[in-house]
Amino acid sequence: MSDASNGQQSPPAADMDGPGQVLDDQLNVTEPALYLDGIPHDRFQAIRSTPGLSWHPYEDGGFWAVTRHAEVKAVSKNAQVFSSAIGHTNLWDLEADALEARRSLIDTDAPDHTRLRRLIAAAFTPRNIRVWTDQVRAITVELLDDYLADGGGDWVEKVAAPLPIRVILAMLGVPVEDADYLVELSNYLVEGTGDQQSVPPDAFGNTTELRLLPFNSPASHALFEYGERLGELRRNDPRDDLVSQLVAAEQDGDRLSASEYRNLFHLLVFAGNETTRTALSHGAVALADNPDQWQRILDDHAVIESATEEIIRWATPVLHMRRTAAADTVLAGTEISAGQKVVMWYASANRDEAVFENPDSFDVGRPDNGHFAFGGGGPHMCLGAFLARLEVSVLLEEMAARSMRLERTSEPTRTRSNFVHGILSVDMTAAA
Amino acid sequence: MPDSEPTSQNTVTVALNAELCLGVGSCELLQPDQFRIDDDTAIAELVGDGAMSRVDAELVVDRCPSGALSIADDARS
Repeated sequence: MSDASNGQQSPPAADMDGPGQVLDDQLNVTEPALYLDGIPHDRFQAIRSTPGLSWHPYEDGGFWAVTRHAEVKAVSKNAQVFSSAIGHTNLWDLEADALEARRSLIDTDAPDHTRLRRLIAAAFTPRNIRVWTDQVRAITVELLDDYLADGGGDWVEKVAAPLPIRVILAMLGVPVEDADYLVELSNYLVEGTGDQQSVPPDAFGNTTELRLLPFNSPASHALFEYGERLGELRRNDPRDDLVSQLVAAEQDGDRLSASEYRNLFHLLVFAGNETTRTALSHGAVALADNPDQWQRILDDHAVIESATEEIIRWATPVLHMRRTAAADTVLAGTEISAGQKVVMWYASANRDEAVFENPDSFDVGRPDNGHFAFGGGGPHMCLGAFLARLEVSVLLEEMAARSMRLERTSEPTRTRSNFVHGILSVDMTAAA
Repeated sequence: MPDSEPTSQNTVTVALNAELCLGVGSCELLQPDQFRIDDDTAIAELVGDGAMSRVDAELVVDRCPSGALSIADDARS
């Protein structure tokens, strides 16, 4: 909702001495260390309740923070004005050559985005994702039964991480024996979303400048190489999997370039590993911490559908995405100049009191859950949304079928990142 | 609101601009009698007449991330 009466809407001067809009440090939401204690919801609440958009200094410049549900939706759905192809979709800009080398589906606008998305979209529609139900269930059952036999342990390592990665690797056609290697690479990429990396720049035989690699990580080089090797195999011996489909499109000529293939493979592995893992981790923690909500599911399995949406809202695995104004525009009464960064904070929109009743309570029966955990409703909506929903709901079904009880025995260890809402580990006990 | 039977009072027509479609499939999920995503092109096809209650139409238009759906006209007219 806009507030035309707010008079202090001009962007700050370059020296950050502009009136009104430069937030004091108490409203900093980008310091990665803040997120070690969880999303700073109190800060976002304060920003949401301030009319207009707020300007946040960041590195050499800054960005407009979009924190209310209605305005996140307005930005997300207006891709012509709020571009994904300019600058970067993360907070920091990339140099032009780095952006080109790293450009994936996420960093494109129509018509490139339309062409790339259509190459893989059909595999992820609700109807075609449903086909994977039995396979998702088989993997889930195996992991849950092992977890129960052990009496629990690190939920992330034993359940939340392996489940989604096994599913996406099966869809891509990655041989089972390579799964551990790709999980390892993907874990290094997760580090790259924070500000600390544990592998040296020349790891995995990397000789590429890190700024040219996704997440500035040498693991991206290794993942590119793996994707190319697998692509070569499938070019010669096509199977019924996504990689075979993609290399066929590459051979067709102008449908998919070699760089686009590399980055798409990379995106699918990373997104398939990191985001659903986060949802499954926060979901288990929320159910352990709210036994009354778990009891509602045990009492009535029909609640699983709404519980799935609530877990995904609660988790909000991706905290924000950035757009860049392609033209001068006005949002919430705030004037935005062409070239300025505009950041949609899904983490805030998903707690917006204007849309969600008691937004800070975990309610598995929440009706009409129009959350923005898969994006704000625009064209870059999460490709894997229906796959993530399937994985969460099958996990809940199988936990409920076992009348499983989780009890948390450690605090979750969180990712030091303002971009992903990761849980690195959380110990629990499990009993049937 | 639950799905309501279209009546002459509240029926509208949803139009599809296939050029914008990104093949997400929310339309097929919400209105399987109206929309189907082609598995080869990942583009939605209108398999029904597009007529539905205003409430259903507003939901399916809102949930289409591609911006490919719109309420074309009021079927009462």
